[in-house]
Amino acid sequence: MIWVTWRQHRAQILVTGGFLALLGLLLLGSAVEAGVYVAGHAPPGCPGPAVACGEVEVGLAYRYEAVYTVFGWMPLVLPALIGAFWGAPLLGREYERGTHRLAWTQSVPVWRWLAVKLALLGGAVVAGGLLLSAMVSLWRPVFRAGVDSTFGNIGVFNMVGVAPAAWWLYAFALGTLAGALFRRTLPAMALVVAGVAATMFTLLQVSDHYAEPVRAELSGTVLLDDPDARLVRGAWVEPSGREVAEPPAGSCPRRADAGRSSRNAEAWQECLFAKGYRYAVYYHPPARFWRFQWTEAGILVLASGALGGLAVRRTLRRPG
Amino acid sequence: MRAALEAAGLGVRYRRAWALRDCSLSVPAGRVAALVGPNGAGKTTLMHAAVGLLRPALGSVRVRGEAAFVAQDKPLYDGFTVAETLSFGRRTNSRWDGTSAADRLGRLGVPLGRKVGGLSGGQRAQVAITLALARRPDLLILDEPLANLDPLARHDVMRTVMAEVAERELTVLLSSHVVADLEETCDWLVVLNGGRLQVSGDIEDLLGEHLVLTGPADLIDEPPGGAPGEPPRGAPGEPPGGAWDRGRGLAGGVAGGPVVVSASRTGRQVSLLARGEPPRDPRWQVRRPGLDELVMGHLRGPGPAALPRLTGVNG
Amino acid sequence: MIDFRLDRGSGVSTYLQLVHQVKQALRLGTLRPGDQLPTAREVVESLAINPNTVLKAYRELEREGLVEGRPGMGTFVREGVGGATLADHTRLRRGLEAWVREARDAGLDHEDLRALFAVVLTDVTRDGAGSAGGGAGSAGGGAASGSGGTGAGRKEAGPSRREEGGPSRREESGPSGQEGVA
Repeated sequence: MIWVTWRQHRAQILVTGGFLALLGLLLLGSAVEAGVYVAGHAPPGCPGPAVACGEVEVGLAYRYEAVYTVFGWMPLVLPALIGAFWGAPLLGREYERGTHRLAWTQSVPVWRWLAVKLALLGGAVVAGGLLLSAMVSLWRPVFRAGVDSTFGNIGVFNMVGVAPAAWWLYAFALGTLAGALFRRTLPAMALVVAGVAATMFTLLQVSDHYAEPVRAELSGTVLLDDPDARLVRGAWVEPSGREVAEPPAGSCPRRADAGRSSRNAEAWQECLFAKGYRYAVYYHPPARFWRFQWTEAGILVLASGALGGLAVRRTLRRPG
Repeated sequence: MRAALEAAGLGVRYRRAWALRDCSLSVPAGRVAALVGPNGAGKTTLMHAAVGLLRPALGSVRVRGEAAFVAQDKPLYDGFTVAETLSFGRRTNSRWDGTSAADRLGRLGVPLGRKVGGLSGGQRAQVAITLALARRPDLLILDEPLANLDPLARHDVMRTVMAEVAERELTVLLSSHVVADLEETCDWLVVLNGGRLQVSGDIEDLLGEHLVLTGPADLIDEPPGGAPGEPPRGAPGEPPGGAWDRGRGLAGGVAGGPVVVSASRTGRQVSLLARGEPPRDPRWQVRRPGLDELVMGHLRGPGPAALPRLTGVNG
Repeated sequence: MIDFRLDRGSGVSTYLQLVHQVKQALRLGTLRPGDQLPTAREVVESLAINPNTVLKAYRELEREGLVEGRPGMGTFVREGVGGATLADHTRLRRGLEAWVREARDAGLDHEDLRALFAVVLTDVTRDGAGSAGGGAGSAGGGAASGSGGTGAGRKEAGPSRREEGGPSRREESGPSGQEGVA
C-alpha cells in the first residue's frame, strides 16, 4: 500500500516538495541579499526598534515588495492548494473515474486503504507545513529582528510555529471529506478553497478569546507601546472609573478630520485626557505566542480528525 | 452441490427505491453463470453487494472463498503502465500469481511498458481480467465484460476466461444484456427483472423444462385482464406459474400440464413459452426453446394472473 | 491432431458439433487410433466455449466407445476403433455413386433418394446390423428430428446404445437431463 500511495500521489508530493525547495531558495537568496544591503546601508543596531532604523526598514520593504506580496498571500493560498490538490482528489478522483471499484475490491480492506493513505499523506502534509514554518522562522529575522516578533501580525503568525502544519492538515482533511461527499474533484476543490477562507476568517474572530485579554490603562496616548501585541479592543474610562464605549457628547468638542490628517482626533483625545479621562486597552501580549499557537493548532487538529472521521465513515458505509 | 455464491433474501435499496428485493439464489462452484436482464434489472447491484461495494438493507449475500471483481468499463489507473498495474495488484492482494499474469499479457501482445490509458479497448479488458485472475480467485465476477468490445476482442476475452475455468476450479458470474454473448460460454442462468429474481438454474435443465407451444388461438382462454401479447406491466416479478398453479389450475384440470410463462399472439396463431410436460392436444406444435427465447419469455412474462389458460389440454 | 471449428449460426448445439467433428475426422482418417484429442483447455482457448461443453462431448465419445480418457494424460482415440479407412471410403463412395446414378436413371429425384436412403438406414439399424460408417444417414436423421424431437427423445433409452444412428441422434438433441428415464 505504501508503494501504491506513492505511485498514485507522487505528482502532488513532488510538486509540493519542488515548491518548498524553490521557496527555500527564494527566501535564502533574499535573506543573503538583504543581509548585504543591511550591512551597507543600516546604522549599527539595525534592523531594530530604534527610530534610526525606520529608513532601512522602508528601504527593505521597497526592495522586497514582491517577496512580501507572495508572503502575504501564502497563509491563505497554501492551505487552500493543499486541500485542493492533496485532499479533494484523494477520494473524489477515485469515484470520478470509477477506480474506487478497482481499489476497494482487492484483498486490502477499504478501512486499511483509507488508513494508510490518510496516515501517509496526512503525515507528509504536516511535514511540509513544519518545513515551511522552519524556513520562514529562519528567514524573517534578517528583516525584522527586534522590530516585532511573529505574534501581532496574524498572517505571519500563521506561517510560523506549528500553525502551518495544522492549517495544511485541516485543509487536507476538509478536501478529503469534500471529495467523499461530492464524488467529484472539481466541486470538492471549490469547497476546499471556500472552506479554508471561511475557517480562517472565523478563527481570526475567535482567536481573541483563546485567553483572557490583559487590560492596560493609558493616559496621554491611545497607542500601546508594544507593536507586537495583539489588540482586542479599547474603551474610554471616565474619571469616576466607569468604562464607556463613547465619552458623553458634551465632554469635548469633536470635529471630523479632513483627508489623511488626524489633527482633530488627536486634539479631541488630548482634551479628554486633560479632563481626567483615561484609555483602557485590552490586548494579548506577545508572550502568549505558544499558548495561541497550540490553541489554534489544537482546534484545527481536532477539526481535521472530525472531518477525516466523517470521510472515512461515509466511505465505509457505501464504498460502491 | 457446494455454492460459490449464495444470496438469501437479499434486498438493496438506493435511498427510497429498491434496486434488488427478496433475492435468493445460489451459484454452484465450478459453474459459469450468466446474469441477464434488461438495464436497471439489478445485475450490477447484485454484483456490488457480492463484492462488498454495497451493504444490503435486508438479507445477505455470501461468497465462498476469494472473489475478484471487474467492474463495468474496466476501471484501471490510466496513468499507470501495464507493469505498474500488475505491481498494484501484487501489493494490494495476499494471493498473487504475477508470473502467469505477465506471461498471459505477453502472449496477448499487450506491451507492459505502455500506459493503461493508451491501450485499446480489448487490451484494457485483458489487463483488467488478468489483474483479477492473477489473484487466483475462487469466484470471478465480471460486470458486462463484453460491452464496448469488438467481436474479436469479445472472443479473446472469453477465451482467456474459459481457459482459466478449464485449468482449475473457478466459478464465474458474468452479466450481459446480450444473451447471444453467453450461449456458448455459460452453463448456469440467473435472470433478473425489475430488481427481482425470475429464473435461476442449470441452463440445460431449464431448456429441458421449457417448451415453445404454437397452435391455433382458440386453444387458449383469454385472460380476464387483457389480450396476450400485450401483457400488463403491473406485476413483473411474480414467480412464473405459482399463482396460476394453485389458484386456477389449467383448463381440464390436469396436474403437471404446462404452466404458461409468456404468450404472444399473431392473428389466429398463438405462441407460448411454457414450463412442464407437453400438452396432449395434437393441435399444439411443441419444440424446445433456445436460450434467448427462454430469457425473453421470462422477461416478457407478465404476472401469472394475466396469462391465458390452455383449453385444449384434455379435450 | 484435430482442429475444432464452430458454426455458430447452425442451431446445432456446440457439444454435438464437437462430437460430429471427431467422428468425421475418424471417418476421414485425420484422426487415427492412438491419437490424442486436444485438451479441454486447448479447445476452450481457441473456441472460447465453456470447458464443460468439451468435457461433455468427450464423455459422449467415450460412451460411444470411440475414445478413452487416460487419467493425467488426456483423451485418446481407442485402438481398433472401426472407423473406415480412407481406402474403404473411396471404395464405398464409388459404390454409392454407381447406385445413385442407377436410381437417377430409374427416375428418382433428389428428395426421393434422400428418403429412400434414410428409410433403408433406419431399417438396417433397427435390425441390429448397423455400421459405424453411416455419415449421410446421421445428417438425415438430424434434420428429421427437428420437428418431433422432444416427444420421441423422451422415450429413447439412450445409454445402452453404442452405435450412432438416426434414433440415437434424436435422443442427443433432447434434454440431456432426462436421458436416464426409460
